[in-house]
Amino acid sequence: MEKIIKWKEKYFPYLMCAPAIILFTMFIIVPLITGFAISFFSWDGYSTMTFNGGENYLFVLQDEVYRQAIGNTFVYAIAVTVLKNIIALGLAFILVKKFPLRNFFRSGIYMPVMMSYIVIGILWTWIFNPTFGLLNAFLRLIGLESLIRGWLSDPTFAMASVIVVDVWKWIGYHMVLYIAGLQGISRDYYEAAEIDGANAWQRFKNITIPLLNPTIVVNVLMAITGGLVSNYDIVHIMTDGGPFHATEVSATYIMRTAFNYGNMGKANAMTMITFVIAFIFGFIQLRVMTRQEREEN
Amino acid sequence: MTNIKKYAPKLLGFVVVVIFFVICAYPIVWMVLCSLKGEGEFYTNIWGIPETFMFENYLKAWQQGELGQKFLNSFIVTVGAILLMVPVNCCAAYAIGRLKFKYRSIIYIYLLMGIMIPSGVLGIPTYQVALALGLNNSLIGLILVYASGSIAMGIFIMRSFFISLPQGLEEAAMIDGATRFQCFTRVILPLAKPGIVTQIIFSGLGYWNEYYYANLLLTDESLRTLPVAASNFMGRHNIEYTTLFAALVIITIPAIIVYFVCQKSFVEGLSAGAMKG
Repeated sequence: MEKIIKWKEKYFPYLMCAPAIILFTMFIIVPLITGFAISFFSWDGYSTMTFNGGENYLFVLQDEVYRQAIGNTFVYAIAVTVLKNIIALGLAFILVKKFPLRNFFRSGIYMPVMMSYIVIGILWTWIFNPTFGLLNAFLRLIGLESLIRGWLSDPTFAMASVIVVDVWKWIGYHMVLYIAGLQGISRDYYEAAEIDGANAWQRFKNITIPLLNPTIVVNVLMAITGGLVSNYDIVHIMTDGGPFHATEVSATYIMRTAFNYGNMGKANAMTMITFVIAFIFGFIQLRVMTRQEREEN
Repeated sequence: MTNIKKYAPKLLGFVVVVIFFVICAYPIVWMVLCSLKGEGEFYTNIWGIPETFMFENYLKAWQQGELGQKFLNSFIVTVGAILLMVPVNCCAAYAIGRLKFKYRSIIYIYLLMGIMIPSGVLGIPTYQVALALGLNNSLIGLILVYASGSIAMGIFIMRSFFISLPQGLEEAAMIDGATRFQCFTRVILPLAKPGIVTQIIFSGLGYWNEYYYANLLLTDESLRTLPVAASNFMGRHNIEYTTLFAALVIITIPAIIVYFVCQKSFVEGLSAGAMKG
């Protein structure tokens, strides 16, 4: 009896961790290893696999569409990161203070965060519709007929249009995070600075920005990883990479390569490349998120 | 003059906020208005309020899209993944946060790697693994994939909650004769409720809206979730757009209800998830 209790006591922590370890290993680590392995084979997904060394990676690097897709992915990630953070930070500065109907405005701006990319994608495809869309109707109303165009069918504007929608969806999310960050800065600093005669710009530069820095870093990194990886849904539903690959991102091209072109080896090679890129930014994000803890230890 | 100097920035701020509020909220209002228009009016009356409110569009969307089944599927997957993820995360986070054992930090770092592997990046190989395990085309497979994707962040959040609770809570309970596991379920877990609510809301919302894996793993029409149904709805040729918009509103309503019910925990949870360190 005593032995059993001791045994239980000793293995209790491992039993508690076991389900998480098993699930995580089965559906994150095993796929990662599988993907890495398949990336060295030529395979259509059905017939037998043949090892081809690093040939898939060579094909990927020589593939002009893929190079375009990776370029687009970075343009997309950088554009959404900059726009989301600047707009959200600006709104947070305004809405953190006393403001008429503050909660009403905050809720309205937050609403798109709740919605599925699919719903948003269909909605905005229709807003951008050249003939019956809301955007062109608005341009007509304010007399800017010259700007009217097929926003998603014009290769020059398609990417920007999709980026706008992604930014629209996430402004509220980043705004709420920035408001929380701003609220975390003690008023005492500002009062002390005011007594010392610091003006608004000096207070902003020397108090707000340094103390908000961790919040800014986390927001930026979240937006980057999101922009690099989580863009399949919105691009797929709005343009599916078109017109002429103008909005092709690595996620849509991977899916096309796997299921339309039936090239699983190459699709997995591209998956590994995306994985490495996302992993680097994720690693920085994790370091920032656990910084306080590491400093305490 | 001083008045202008004092009020000008405030007024400018107000204008900026109103503009962004309209940009964010109006398309959603427009979506609801469109869902209530007649088929002809949809194309001619782009701006305005519908002349007659066609509530039958919703009935049509529900029947034509067979949304009843899809609503149920989405519900099963969302609730199932929550019911799996929460206990799994809480148990592991408790052990890592409050117990001392060999390999503790290695296990923690191993699981935290998930934060560096954003959901969706491993779509194709996950599909291959699910296929090999016979978990494709099953709601259980999707539930397992969803729950696994929430482990890293969930443990990260829960662990910081458990650590913040005072030391000695367990000792007191154990003197009263509780086992280790009872300490966890009866003493510690009730105190960590805010963290659990945060996880449920955020992950749950993600599951409800998820499209990528649902589309990848489920091919059977009868197993599809709402976002996949909406996407397929759009692909049909003879589609009535008013009906499609009604379907979009139906998908969105549960998320909006959750938002207004849990608004407070939302804001708290957001900052907990991103800032706690």
